Amino acid sequence: MGGSISKMMSKIFGSKEMRLLMLGLDAAGKTTILYKLKLDTDVTTIPTVGFNVETVTYKNTKFNVWDVGGQDKIRPLWRHYFSGTQGLIFVVDSNDRDRMDEARKELERIIQDREMKDALLLVFANKQDVRGSLSPKEVSDELMLDRTAKGHTWKVEPSCATTGEGIFEGLAWLSSNVKLPPK
Amino acid sequence: MATVLSARPNTNSTGTTNSTTSRTLSTQHHTLSSNSDSASAHSHAPYDHVPVQLPSHRHVSNSHINGNGIPSPMSRRRQRPIKSQYPANSTEKHVEYILVASFDIDRGSVMEHQYPGPVGGDEHMLAELMLPDQTHLRSQDWTIFFLHKDAAGEEDNEMKQRRRRRRRRRKKQGEDGQMKAGAEDREDVDGEDGQGEEDEIDGDNDNFDDSSDEETFDGPPLVYVLNLVNTKQDHTVKRGAVVKAMAVCTRHSFLHIYKPLLLLALEQYFANPVIETLAGLYNAVNAMDLSLMPRLNSYERFILQSSDAKDLFLEKFEAIIAQRMAGSNATPSNPALTAPSPTMNPSQRARYGLPRDTHELESVVPYAGIPIPVKVPTALLPETVGDFSLVKLITTFSTPHSTSPQPFTPTHPHLTTSGGLTHPIIVLLNALLTQKRIIFLGHNLPSSDVAEAVLGACALASGGVLRGFTRHAFPYTDLTKIDDLLKVPGFIAGVTNPAFAHKTEWWDLLCDLGTGRMRISNRIEAVSPIPEGVRFFQQPGHLPSASSSTAGSAAGTAVSGISALAAAGASLSAGLGGSGLMGTVISGDATGDVAFMAGVLRAIEERHGEGAVRRKFRRWVVKFTRLAAAFEEWVYGASMLVIAPTPSTTHPPPSPFIAEHTSPAPSTSSPKPTPNNASSPLSLPPEVLTHGYHLHDRLAKLRLTSEGSGAVYLAICGVVKGEREVEELLAVVGGGVWGADGGVQGGALQGAAGGGGVGGQGQGLFYLGFGLFHPKVEVREAVAGLLGRVREHEAGRHFWVGVGRFVQGAWERVERAREARVRDAEEEAEEAARG
Repeated sequence: MGGSISKMMSKIFGSKEMRLLMLGLDAAGKTTILYKLKLDTDVTTIPTVGFNVETVTYKNTKFNVWDVGGQDKIRPLWRHYFSGTQGLIFVVDSNDRDRMDEARKELERIIQDREMKDALLLVFANKQDVRGSLSPKEVSDELMLDRTAKGHTWKVEPSCATTGEGIFEGLAWLSSNVKLPPK
Repeated sequence: MATVLSARPNTNSTGTTNSTTSRTLSTQHHTLSSNSDSASAHSHAPYDHVPVQLPSHRHVSNSHINGNGIPSPMSRRRQRPIKSQYPANSTEKHVEYILVASFDIDRGSVMEHQYPGPVGGDEHMLAELMLPDQTHLRSQDWTIFFLHKDAAGEEDNEMKQRRRRRRRRRKKQGEDGQMKAGAEDREDVDGEDGQGEEDEIDGDNDNFDDSSDEETFDGPPLVYVLNLVNTKQDHTVKRGAVVKAMAVCTRHSFLHIYKPLLLLALEQYFANPVIETLAGLYNAVNAMDLSLMPRLNSYERFILQSSDAKDLFLEKFEAIIAQRMAGSNATPSNPALTAPSPTMNPSQRARYGLPRDTHELESVVPYAGIPIPVKVPTALLPETVGDFSLVKLITTFSTPHSTSPQPFTPTHPHLTTSGGLTHPIIVLLNALLTQKRIIFLGHNLPSSDVAEAVLGACALASGGVLRGFTRHAFPYTDLTKIDDLLKVPGFIAGVTNPAFAHKTEWWDLLCDLGTGRMRISNRIEAVSPIPEGVRFFQQPGHLPSASSSTAGSAAGTAVSGISALAAAGASLSAGLGGSGLMGTVISGDATGDVAFMAGVLRAIEERHGEGAVRRKFRRWVVKFTRLAAAFEEWVYGASMLVIAPTPSTTHPPPSPFIAEHTSPAPSTSSPKPTPNNASSPLSLPPEVLTHGYHLHDRLAKLRLTSEGSGAVYLAICGVVKGEREVEELLAVVGGGVWGADGGVQGGALQGAAGGGGVGGQGQGLFYLGFGLFHPKVEVREAVAGLLGRVREHEAGRHFWVGVGRFVQGAWERVERAREARVRDAEEEAEEAARG
């Protein structure tokens, strides 16, 4: 009864749920972004052992955000989180020019997985506050998104996790582009 | 069926999986074939089983009436040296390895040090287990995991030992066989010789006592790993934190005693991250002296577990200390040393280092200049690892169930045996017994919580009786091991990652510790077409007439073995219930589980304590095992769950269970004894105590005629002769009878009679004590003789105290009457001789 009412409400007011997976190389700023979203404060994070998961509601959308540790050795684990993911947030440290290629390879591996074929791709070009960082355009070129993310709806959003710049814009984009699974 | 256990891939393993598996397998088959007596598993039952019942070759004397008390083999046995559970000269280390892992900001989890050498296997996987998910969120966490390890070096040794044990057992069997075939009353007749032989057997092998039988069942014991992980915020290091973990690997299941030591040692390692820190801990824990812990056999362990008395088996502690004081080669010639004196006052006890509570041995491990007290449990039941709390586990899942019950969807005939609203704990038990894949999920909880839940679940379904659960248990695991985990048929795993909840294809039952709810997977394997056992029950005419209405309807809806078993259980419990004794039978509770859980919850509410709750579940498991065995014997013609006596021509019914069912069953309304009860004692099968539970239940639950009860009393008295049998008897009565609440009315009566078993648990000698009021004099005297033997027994005397003045007084009266009768008879004989 209660469930059916809330279902009706969600139909009328367009509230929806979305499962997001946030990945990226280690120290790209994933956990900081997650807690900026959740608590709207800048928290000092330490390396994630395993994962973090938080639920964030923004603009009628309930985001279920999974943040998985990014160390080289644990990247093979990412695949366990793929199924059911509607949006991938790939976080890139815009200053880490040396590892852009590594990031591109990882992204390629994720987004071309069969289970991710319907997922939206949002790339956060993070750490824009550091001088000399790559611009969003440069990041998309480095990641060769035209080719890597072929067949996916994608966007690169400049962001700064510590100030929150770009974070919510990114979520809004995801929310407005998500295709609700047919019910 | 032992194959299920050994053929498992070892997910957490570091050992050389394939080769060892096949080796273990072949050994086990060998064991099975060479020694069918202790063969433990059956192809229809998922888990190994400890024979709580007697070995089948049990000698029974024809002279049932032996009120004189036998020339006590007990006192003889006491002079034998008490063996230590952990002899000082043993080469087995308390702790085999110490490990340290850390989370590297570039490489993830890495192993830093292993002492004294590498454990072997996948180091990286080990390191991941040591650094559980989300450890960055808390400053400290504990985890437990198991290694299925066959150290290559130990392998040969292990095999040899096993072979030796087997040989010895065969020898022993041979002896028993002789005994059976040969002289009656062997113990009485050639006591000295028998003693000599026994000594010889025991003398050359420290491991002979069945306390070491864990190893013979399913390979070497698991390596238990207790792991402490600390996360320290440190702004001087890159990315602001240091995460390190230290673990001890031990083959002892009481690994929780190392907690204070690990806390200290990890602190030391943060300050001094070198391998010497590990070495220091390793040497300290292995120097721990537990040699004053006497070894108990399995019955003694059961008795100790079922009692709260603080000085039970104190004699053994005294004896072992006396032996120590008399030097390493103490001979049992000095009676002053070996004769126990339970009257020693407390101050004396303290001086000799006697335990304040015999349930645990206190020792001290000096580490880093601090003497750290440790308490090692004396009686460890199999499948009991670490220090979990069943009370906590049960409360977690029963509170939401009782406040706002939600029916299980979907239901499953193996699991929801009492319909959609089956109590979650019963669903869990059913899932464990039917080898389902079970996951305990504790999102945002410390990994120690999920580990404890897993360990608790193992103990819950084992009850110290069934085995194999810990070998399928993964107290803590994570997503990285999922591929290996899924290869294990029927696992019990603890995880903190909520991703598991979404993957319904990975598990059959998900137990969410956060919400206290259980979910049955919608992808759970449907039950195969009706098994032959159920078809058997559905055929008209196979059901006991008395309870065919309830059992019949249950069987009608049943689609699985379990349900059929439940139906059988209903009829059996109806039979055992007698008239009105089961006052709390709840309508529609075919399995009795509703009443059982109500009893458990009441015990928790009334704060009966962890021990009481564990005992209740042990009774449940014993009951289940008996039902399963009866079911198998009935439907398949044989069961290896209960070691069935070899069918012999003189005793047509191989099992009292069958006798009970095939005879006109006693209906709940008319307490008519079955013909079997009324017949002569000799018609009872010889292996009476094999079904000791059964006999005792009959005394407790059925309203028997005096002839019927007399037969049962005489049968029990006839078998319980030596110390060993007394222990078995005490293990039976200590466990108590089963019923809605261990016999509600019995408990009340017992209270009136002045307290029951030791510590108020179980029925104690209450029902046996009734035999002192039996109308037949030979029954009274036999029971008095039996109680006399119990009274002399070192554990029995605690039970004797529990029966109360009333029974004690009756015993004295019967004994006096017997003496008088014997005197009269002698006088008459003399007169007759004279005249």
